[in-house]
Amino acid sequence: MTNSNQNVKIHVSDLKKKFGTLEVLKGVSVDIYEGEVVVVIGPSGSGKSTFLRCLNRLEDLTSGQIVVDGIDISHKGTNINKMRERVGMVFQHFNLFNNLNVVKNLMLAPVDLKKSTKAKAYEEAKKLLKRVGLEDKETAYPSQLSGGQKQRVAIARSLAMQPDIMLFDEPTSALDPEMVGEVLAVMKELALGGMTMVVVTHEMGFAKDVADRVIFMADGMIVEQGTPDEVFGNPQNERTKDFLRCVL
Amino acid sequence: MIRIITEYGELLLRAMGQTLLLALCGLFFACILGLIFGLMSVLKNKACNIIAQIFVDVIRGVPMIVLAFFVFFGVPYAFKTFFHFQVILDGLTAGTICLALNCGAYMSEIIRAGIQSVDRGQMEASRSLGLPYWRAMQRVVLPQAIKTMIPSIINQFIITLKDTSILSVIGFPELVNSAKNVQANTFMSFQTWTIVGIMYLVVITILSRIAKLLERRLNNDKQ
Repeated sequence: MTNSNQNVKIHVSDLKKKFGTLEVLKGVSVDIYEGEVVVVIGPSGSGKSTFLRCLNRLEDLTSGQIVVDGIDISHKGTNINKMRERVGMVFQHFNLFNNLNVVKNLMLAPVDLKKSTKAKAYEEAKKLLKRVGLEDKETAYPSQLSGGQKQRVAIARSLAMQPDIMLFDEPTSALDPEMVGEVLAVMKELALGGMTMVVVTHEMGFAKDVADRVIFMADGMIVEQGTPDEVFGNPQNERTKDFLRCVL
Repeated sequence: MIRIITEYGELLLRAMGQTLLLALCGLFFACILGLIFGLMSVLKNKACNIIAQIFVDVIRGVPMIVLAFFVFFGVPYAFKTFFHFQVILDGLTAGTICLALNCGAYMSEIIRAGIQSVDRGQMEASRSLGLPYWRAMQRVVLPQAIKTMIPSIINQFIITLKDTSILSVIGFPELVNSAKNVQANTFMSFQTWTIVGIMYLVVITILSRIAKLLERRLNNDKQ
């Protein structure tokens, strides 16, 4: 979990994003290293989700550059789908495929994109479900699961593509409080396993506990970043102090 | 009443067959048109959206009887006068074109609404896994959209089946057109139209029942 390995996984420079005339990201630059767990915090409307969604081009950039694993994804001609196979994403509202049961949710992309045969994908899916503690839910449909279970399936679905980067967009914000823990536990296990992770969250406990680096965003900019100790223990910027006073 | 059934029953049944044939041909092409224009209206492409919108607006804004006259009389006339080219449309072809255009426009609206009723997150999640747009559409979005579309599509099918009666004006021997001849021969208008009404009622009721069954089967299948 340390930064001793200094391979840059994601390089972002001067990223700007406008929705119409509203400038949501006003020049964000950051490097994220292999195996690093970066937690992005900040008030709502600060652009943290938009920032995350730019990293796998769910949002088109207005200007700036993003390089993932050495591939410039801000470039028009880049094969975005190939990049996305290696960058998993977990959403606030789970977005499980409602027309498919749990195991088929996991198998769809690997089989469809010919990364795996049906039999192999099935074996892999069962392993992943066991890993997130849901081996008994193989044939259940998303509508039959609780929020926490849905989110764990969603994480497993992303992992089925064997990504080397995982993006989390407020993965616990839509959950009942008693289900937050089970999702965070899975995420922590992933982090300890050396996955490169970018996590947008309001779970300050998770940030303190698991993050290698905490980034505080406000008004479409990175205001402050550092280790959890630095940002939570000794914030420098007034905006950071205000925010932390409210949430801690 | 008995006299009409014994003397003209076979004729009317055959006419019903023609009605169903026309409806089937029309619906087949309407589905294709509806799918094309429906998909065009959800694409992130302004030109496609506008073309689809114009198609829907024009067809919805013109009564089908006008469309029928236009296709059957207007188009061949235009070809003959402006391009000196003889086009002969038989009733079935012209009727199919009318139904396909008319029903296609409504179908495209049903398909557009169905696709848009599926949460955006479904497409985003599929794309985030690396699926290309059309694969995501085919594997994730459309299967869910179709479930919400089915009741409206069935409704549209029934409306289209009834709309075939309008095409009696271009001389296609469907049920209403044939019934007019029966009435002219027998002068028994009450009996004739009662029988015709019952024939439509029976066919449409049977079709709706089958559709209901299908709908339930589809809903049970998934969750």
